[in-house]
Amino acid sequence: MTHPIVSRALSESRGKLREDEALTLLRAYGIPVPDFALVKNEEEAVKVAEAIGFPVVAKVVSPQIVHKTDVGGVVVGINDAQGVREACRRLREVVKRVPYAELEGVLIQKMVPKGVELIVGAVYDEIFGHVVAFGLGGIYTELYKDISMRVVPVDVEDVWEMVREVKAYRLLTGFRGMPPRDIPAVVDIVYKFSRLIEDNPEISEADLNPVIALEEGKGAYVVDARFILRISY
Amino acid sequence: MLSKLLDPESVAVAGASPKQGSVGYVILENLVNRFGKKVFPINPKYDEVELWGRVIKFYKSISEVPDPVDVVVIATPAPTVPKVLEEAGIKGVKAAVIVSSGFSEAGNTELENWVKAVAKQYGVRVLGPNCIGVYNAYSGFDTVFLPAERAGRPPPGPLALISQSGAVAAAIMDWAARRRLGLGFLVNYGNKADITETELLEGFAADDRVKVITIYIEGFKYPGEARQFLETAKKIAAKKPVVAYKAGRGGAAQRAVKSHTAAMAGSYEMYHGLFQQAGVIEASSVREMFDMAKALAMQPTPRGRRTLVLTDSGGMGIQAVDALEALGLEVPEIPESVAKELKRELLPFAAVTNPVDVTGSTTDEHYKIVLDALLPTPLFDMALVVTLMQVPGLTKNLADYLIDAKKYGKPIVVVNFGGSELVQRFEEVLEDNGIPVYPTPDRAAKALWALYKYGEIRKRL
Repeated sequence: MTHPIVSRALSESRGKLREDEALTLLRAYGIPVPDFALVKNEEEAVKVAEAIGFPVVAKVVSPQIVHKTDVGGVVVGINDAQGVREACRRLREVVKRVPYAELEGVLIQKMVPKGVELIVGAVYDEIFGHVVAFGLGGIYTELYKDISMRVVPVDVEDVWEMVREVKAYRLLTGFRGMPPRDIPAVVDIVYKFSRLIEDNPEISEADLNPVIALEEGKGAYVVDARFILRISY
Repeated sequence: MLSKLLDPESVAVAGASPKQGSVGYVILENLVNRFGKKVFPINPKYDEVELWGRVIKFYKSISEVPDPVDVVVIATPAPTVPKVLEEAGIKGVKAAVIVSSGFSEAGNTELENWVKAVAKQYGVRVLGPNCIGVYNAYSGFDTVFLPAERAGRPPPGPLALISQSGAVAAAIMDWAARRRLGLGFLVNYGNKADITETELLEGFAADDRVKVITIYIEGFKYPGEARQFLETAKKIAAKKPVVAYKAGRGGAAQRAVKSHTAAMAGSYEMYHGLFQQAGVIEASSVREMFDMAKALAMQPTPRGRRTLVLTDSGGMGIQAVDALEALGLEVPEIPESVAKELKRELLPFAAVTNPVDVTGSTTDEHYKIVLDALLPTPLFDMALVVTLMQVPGLTKNLADYLIDAKKYGKPIVVVNFGGSELVQRFEEVLEDNGIPVYPTPDRAAKALWALYKYGEIRKRL
């Protein structure tokens, strides 16, 4: 059944979910996302950051800005209230530099510790229907094209297979002194995400990028998410 | 319905011709000479013609044929096909193999849609158009328009091939005939106006003569088709091994990088994922597909992955270990106590580790001793046996020992390399008795892997 967040976006003829909507949708499916809130001004930002606990990340939320990092729309490693204020000002400047861009707000998000970066995605293909994809981030997807796919719906065993199938899987099991990662938590995310896609067929494309896999027993978190909808569905 | 298409009692050939070298001639020749059932040539230009030492009666149209007709093979010019199909429909023919080309593959989608409409109206199921159709080694029902002296016809056997490409199918047929590979059925579906690979898969699943289904596929065509294939294949793979080779992987991986609808449409990774989900065993070449299919048709599935390597050549043994381990199969050590026992009965310089190397001074009996000592134990799930027959101590009795070892219920594949008559005869005896033989260790290892993989699929589905 289509989630109200998706229905609402469609009724407003929006082809894309806002970042806070995307994270809320993930959370509704039990997919771990770091604590976050969308704020409208500096004071609110400080209050939220203090409630969430430092360090935090601040991200620009603007319908016109697709690749936030490319325009400097993400400030990481903010450790205090002063830092939050500075970040808010900087993000306002960023939006001014992008033609036609409007600032919808700033997303304050708990910063996730470093881990192995993963990509989880979904796409609608006319012949295959919805397909989920899994891969390691960075050069592994871009250079080595090391990605596995399955047709939705999948069962948990399918997901285990697809996670084990990528060549860079060894980075998750612990390699050359790097600690093993929380693989069951990763599998859980991919599985729940595929359920989300199954329930919301209006999604034509989705990326969870990055998903951070922490050490064994410490979980995995979706840090950034993008959902594209088929308005004409 | 598909059983009628694959195994008809009577067939009409529209476009049959007494002119040597024409498509209508070859099809008629193959059917008249090898299909043991009724054949009705259709061509208004002829009445009675003497061919292959007998008088063949031609009919003006299908409606003139006095008996019921199960299948019509249509090899008339493309624009005439809808009319011929309509006549077949009126006559009550259940299935048509449209060999003719000049439809969607040539940009004439309108004509193909017309054929589809006629087929639907009269309830005639259509294979093709633009296909070589069906080869059934059991009945000799054969719509392949390639002369038998150019494309050999394989003997009856447990394998079936569903091929998207007609030329590839014909080449495989010829190749299989030469190797005495039991390719009992072959179907090429061409433009897929009606009957799809999914339906053919169901057809072969229902046929007890087929033990393993092989599929050569380049890509699905219609929206939603992949899902249908997945659901069907999953059910079938639980009962019968399905091996597929997806051709055309190039460039797809690049497109798969970004999650982008248009770019990802039907990328190779999607096919790979689908095969995994469906429990379809994927091959990376046509040759590998049949290497695996052969083993799956002849041998049981192993309980685990522990492989005994038994060899008379150290070099071949090492290659086998390399290949097995690269595929995730295990080559465990033989426990000291067992090795000690075994050593007493073998030559003093035989290596009783794993691989067990009985050396070039071996006799047939040494193989028997090792197989009888190790295969019944829980130490091993299957065996890869290298039998380089060039050494003087080996005779054809070795084949009997290997065949006898089947009683342990564990998969055995043999690597045999060479060209002498003895080697060939040895291979034939083994394969006729259900032990697959491969020329190189990597191919034998892949065959064992397929058996292991199918065991895992069975457990899961």
